[in-house]
Amino acid sequence: MPKIRLGLLVAFALLCVNANAQRSAIDTYAITNARIVTVSGPVIERGTVVVRNGLIAAAGANVNAPPDARVIDGTGLTVYPGLIDSYTDLALPEAAPSPSPGGPPRAAPAPGPNSTQPPGLQPEVMVEDVIRPGGNEIEASRNIGITTALTSPRTGIWMGQSALINLAGETPQQMIVRSPVAMHVGFTPLRTGGYPGSLLGVFAALRQMMLDTQRYREALQIYERAPRGVRRPDTDRSLAALVPVLEGRMPVVMLANSEREISRALDLAEEFKLRLIIAGGREADRVADRLAKQKVPVLLSLNLPKRTTAAIPEADPEPLRVLRERVEAQQTAGKLAKAGVRFAFQSGSLTNMSDLLANAGKTIENGLSATDALRAFTIWPAEILGVQNQLGSIEAGKIANLTVVRGDLFDRNGRVTHVFIDGRPFDIKPAPESPKQ
Amino acid sequence: MKQFIAKLLLVAIIATLPLSSVRAQKQTAPETLIRNATVLTVTRGTLQNTDVLLRNGKIAAVGKNLNASANARIIDGTGKYVMPGIIDCHSHSMLDTINEGTLSVTSMVRTADVLNTTDIDLYRELAGGVTSLNLLHGSANPIGGLNTVVKVKYGRPANEFLFPGAMPGIKFALGENVKRSSTPNQPGVTRRYPNTRMGVEETIRDAFTRARDYKRTWDEYRAASKNDKNLIPPRRDLQLEPLVEILEGKRYVHAHSYIASEILMLISIADEFGFKIKTFQHVLEGYKVAKEIAAHGAGASIFADSWAYKIEAYDAIPYNAAIMTRAGVVVSMNSDSDERARRLNIEAAKAMHWGDLTEEQALKLITLNPAIQLGIQERVGSIEVGKDADIAIWNGHPFSVYSRVETTFIDGDVYFDRAQDLARRPELAKERAALEQAEPNRPRPKGESPQTPRRRPSGHEDDDIEIEKP
Repeated sequence: MPKIRLGLLVAFALLCVNANAQRSAIDTYAITNARIVTVSGPVIERGTVVVRNGLIAAAGANVNAPPDARVIDGTGLTVYPGLIDSYTDLALPEAAPSPSPGGPPRAAPAPGPNSTQPPGLQPEVMVEDVIRPGGNEIEASRNIGITTALTSPRTGIWMGQSALINLAGETPQQMIVRSPVAMHVGFTPLRTGGYPGSLLGVFAALRQMMLDTQRYREALQIYERAPRGVRRPDTDRSLAALVPVLEGRMPVVMLANSEREISRALDLAEEFKLRLIIAGGREADRVADRLAKQKVPVLLSLNLPKRTTAAIPEADPEPLRVLRERVEAQQTAGKLAKAGVRFAFQSGSLTNMSDLLANAGKTIENGLSATDALRAFTIWPAEILGVQNQLGSIEAGKIANLTVVRGDLFDRNGRVTHVFIDGRPFDIKPAPESPKQ
Repeated sequence: MKQFIAKLLLVAIIATLPLSSVRAQKQTAPETLIRNATVLTVTRGTLQNTDVLLRNGKIAAVGKNLNASANARIIDGTGKYVMPGIIDCHSHSMLDTINEGTLSVTSMVRTADVLNTTDIDLYRELAGGVTSLNLLHGSANPIGGLNTVVKVKYGRPANEFLFPGAMPGIKFALGENVKRSSTPNQPGVTRRYPNTRMGVEETIRDAFTRARDYKRTWDEYRAASKNDKNLIPPRRDLQLEPLVEILEGKRYVHAHSYIASEILMLISIADEFGFKIKTFQHVLEGYKVAKEIAAHGAGASIFADSWAYKIEAYDAIPYNAAIMTRAGVVVSMNSDSDERARRLNIEAAKAMHWGDLTEEQALKLITLNPAIQLGIQERVGSIEVGKDADIAIWNGHPFSVYSRVETTFIDGDVYFDRAQDLARRPELAKERAALEQAEPNRPRPKGESPQTPRRRPSGHEDDDIEIEKP
């Protein structure tokens, strides 16, 4: 009765966590007799994964469970690397509610301390300063097998710097795998009534701040070379935050879905030689040649568009363009894979996280191989986000983030039975029965 | 099981649909010969029973009994009219957004950043024989954003739209839109300066004063940095750089204007700072100061017969084009509207009715004259050997309301073909039927009423109004 044993085990582990806020006293687990999809190597049809001290200690067909390990009988289970959601706003405080139509503009977010820029244009904002552990959204993601997420601010133009977090941990510090990961840019105008108040101004403002950063960097270099006789340049934390971006040390994630948005992002990145990552990417296949050539990866949203309205006979027919877009969005992943564009899946603010794997299944029905779909949840995001030595595959020495499934991950009947995060097992609440169509 | 088979079939249908051929796409032929047409050359009169040969994107020959190579596309032009592609000197088509209205001076914004090549208005304009557009920023502020001159290469990537060699330009605006006279005061909201025509003048003078200082700062830095490697360079200012280009004669000013006094005001500022206004746009009272406009060397880009749609439009008269043309002003007729842009031929024809312009003068209003105003007259605007093959074939004289465009060429490629459009419709209907059955397009069991696409009002040409396209 492996099910019962597992439940007991998790309950025991949680007890230990509660008793001792530091770490579970039990830190060694072995999942035996399981199918192991390592991603980095061939699938092991029947083997053992050993987790010790938060890391994967060993995985293979001939690996034995250590004597001090809690053993989980993995018969009928498949162990995957923990899934990575490569673009979320998990663990962030709730955003202000959107203003009622026609009402006054939304109040500006709190200004950064001593920033030279208005809110929305503050690249120095760091998500690691505001993330909070716990919450229903993190649990909902964990329940479908997500163990790690890139979390980034979602408002503004220079939105700030993201962090890669594990979806477990008692403190923000325990959650963070890597921070900062990337600078984030959105093409949404400020809604404060101030400049830039339109898409036109957004590009001008981005461009001007890049130019200002170039000069800031040059001025500091001149000053450091010969401080005597040179008037000291003003310090500027907004521009200072952009220096690594300008030097190509930090990638820039630009939120872009339509073909033209992606092209604009590519143009801007080319103009300032930025290391670009596209987030969203609904029509990325239309720019695939350019993305492949410039080696720009895509954090591809699985929030697939679908018709939300009922059929009303007297309504105008929907534009052909809209009908095409919905159908083609399911083909984007497959086309990107064929074109050699590197991509990672992300949930794209899905309202119902349980749709995530089902939507990945739709991309598989539309031309993506199941192997690549799994890679787009594991090793590819790890590579794109620069953590391929820590996450993304089942290899000894990597962080013990595992997603354990009864059945197959992308199969409709597959069920996530539990996840390991930093070597700790988590209980999975069975998803509510989805209503039959 | 039945459902499953139906689904399979559907997937198969969608997969086999030749999507690319269903979509509007340019047709390329290395050579096209239009035989025996009436050719409205604009610069060399009207030629009867004449052939036009297009080769490698250019007009290769105009004459009788021309020969083409074996693989040329031959079009029988008997009874048809060939005219140069229409050039719209004031358009906001294919712009995702038109105004950056938060500041009085927004010369740092560029319309080229927000092009939408999928805008269906472009296709409709091609169907009206339009081949080039001057995409302007709106009129929300005295100094607006930078323009983009494009060829209407609908279906092609944005960079292929850009008109090679067109003079860079910028939008200025004066009067009611700028001072926001039609915007009611809102409690607690500070009105953006300026609120009067005096303020508009001050805003422009201030901007050019700053631009002059900016140029001096950079000139001084460039001179001094030769000897001193430790000089910190001045800040590059994207707002002032275009204004310096205007002062240096490298950028055309297209100034939205209505009344005589503000037209004279802008001319006097331009004289004061030593630059030229390339065109006054709308310029409804231009007829009152036609001599002064001509003396400055400015052009005028106007409507045919719109008036009284706002206070500053009360004094407009339909003789404006004729009076300014006779005073020596280069006049063009523009749309400032995606709807009007489809029928600029009729707008030009009105100038023959109101003010007795000749047919050639009227044709120039929508061809050669806007080309001059955009600095592209060496490339387009008339049917002459060596010019770009941007032409339209009409089934009758373009000044007749009964005439329509059959084929529109840009650089020798077909971007609109009426026969092809009609032939495509059954295929599109089939594609729609298949798409509507696809899973993501099937209606949800419950939901609110469908959103109707928001349309741009087809009313008056007040480009201050920001409308998002669906």
